[in-house]
Amino acid sequence: MPETPQPATAPLLSVVLATGEAPRFAPGDAIRVSDRSPIGHYRVPLYLRGKAGTVEAIIRPARVNNEEEGFGRNIGENRHYYRIAIPMTALWPAYRGSSQDSLRIEVFETWLERA
Amino acid sequence: MTEHDHDHSHPHAEIAADGAPGYFEVLETALRELLIEKGFIKAAEIRRQIEVIDSRTPALGAKIVVKAWTDSVFRAQLLANGRAACEELGITFYDDTSLIVLENTETVHNLIVCTLCSCYPRPVLGLPPDWYKLKPYRARAVIEPRAVLAEFGTIIPDDVEVRVSDSTAVVRYLVLPRRPAGTENYSLDRLEALVTRDAMIGVVPVTLDSVEA
Amino acid sequence: MDLVQPVVQRLPNDIGGIVGDPVVRIDRPLEPWEKRCHALADVLDFHKIINTEEKRRGVESLGSAMIGALGYYERWAVVFANLLFQKGVLTPEEVALKMAGIDARSSAERGDDAGEPR
Repeated sequence: MPETPQPATAPLLSVVLATGEAPRFAPGDAIRVSDRSPIGHYRVPLYLRGKAGTVEAIIRPARVNNEEEGFGRNIGENRHYYRIAIPMTALWPAYRGSSQDSLRIEVFETWLERA
Repeated sequence: MTEHDHDHSHPHAEIAADGAPGYFEVLETALRELLIEKGFIKAAEIRRQIEVIDSRTPALGAKIVVKAWTDSVFRAQLLANGRAACEELGITFYDDTSLIVLENTETVHNLIVCTLCSCYPRPVLGLPPDWYKLKPYRARAVIEPRAVLAEFGTIIPDDVEVRVSDSTAVVRYLVLPRRPAGTENYSLDRLEALVTRDAMIGVVPVTLDSVEA
Repeated sequence: MDLVQPVVQRLPNDIGGIVGDPVVRIDRPLEPWEKRCHALADVLDFHKIINTEEKRRGVESLGSAMIGALGYYERWAVVFANLLFQKGVLTPEEVALKMAGIDARSSAERGDDAGEPR
């Protein structure tokens, strides 16, 4: 499936989308990774919590939340992952490489907020 | 948090002096045999999956890279949707992962890592090397990628962005290294021989004297 | 509490950014049992008996001491056992008995005297 945003044209038929079917964020959106501390299992590393970045791409199709999958939930409310871009200098106060260096990481929709 | 662990990848004396299988080999065998006896899995499925694993090697990744170097239509398809382009070549993905192919350019050098575990593009590269799974690489690639690259002998100029992709979810990555100059007349086989696993992880470039580690 | 809270909040595998040792270029081929272990993981995932994310969480649950003491595939074998017990697929007793049987079988195959457990 191509990882590109939906075209901004009116749909031919009027339907109601199920929860999670429409991506909440689009490429270019400024986001912040949430700053919560789940106990026991998570897939958003500590180094990323609370950091601001930009959505680079929507990962399609919508999928199960991997943090819930870790507890055996193989189906359920599917949402999208997003490839997020963050400059290294925003992640690490003492970053010693080039100021151009950056990180890319996939984050599940429920971990992202609009910045 | 202090880490006293020994972070190794070798099994503990898995073959004892008398040739007996070690504890963990026996445990693996017990679990597999019980699951087969109880009908949860089949022996043939295990045998088949071992064959699948054996068939996925860096040679596949090298073929993909060289096809992208020599076929601009394929290159565009590969960059738009890595998994679909590989499936067109008959390289199946036996899991639910996506593949994003990361193109190295004059201005961007890509590096891949899985800080949380050892996610790796197994369908196209096979099993990851131990160093990729061990702490030093996983901890440092996201915070000091240039220092890690230098340990592999790779120096990236400051005006080139080093872009680190950390796989934590459903996406796997393959680096599409730059084609070295002077290879314009190389055959496909000769080109493929240059493309190493480490170049597709992004820790080294492809060079004319690339040798598979 | 300040000393304990980070222990709870940081999983033992969450090491991104913790600067450490140089990369040592270890690149060892798998033992046959390790490859069987990896194939078992894949087959368990296909059947959703233990999916890959459950396996990851299982490794985290082992805790730092066991994670540090065990090699990569050794951890997987222990995790499979733990999760299969939790899910009621296997019991510790039947695994223990099966392991003893395998030990006896391999002793017999190697022609050991009396096939005694090691």
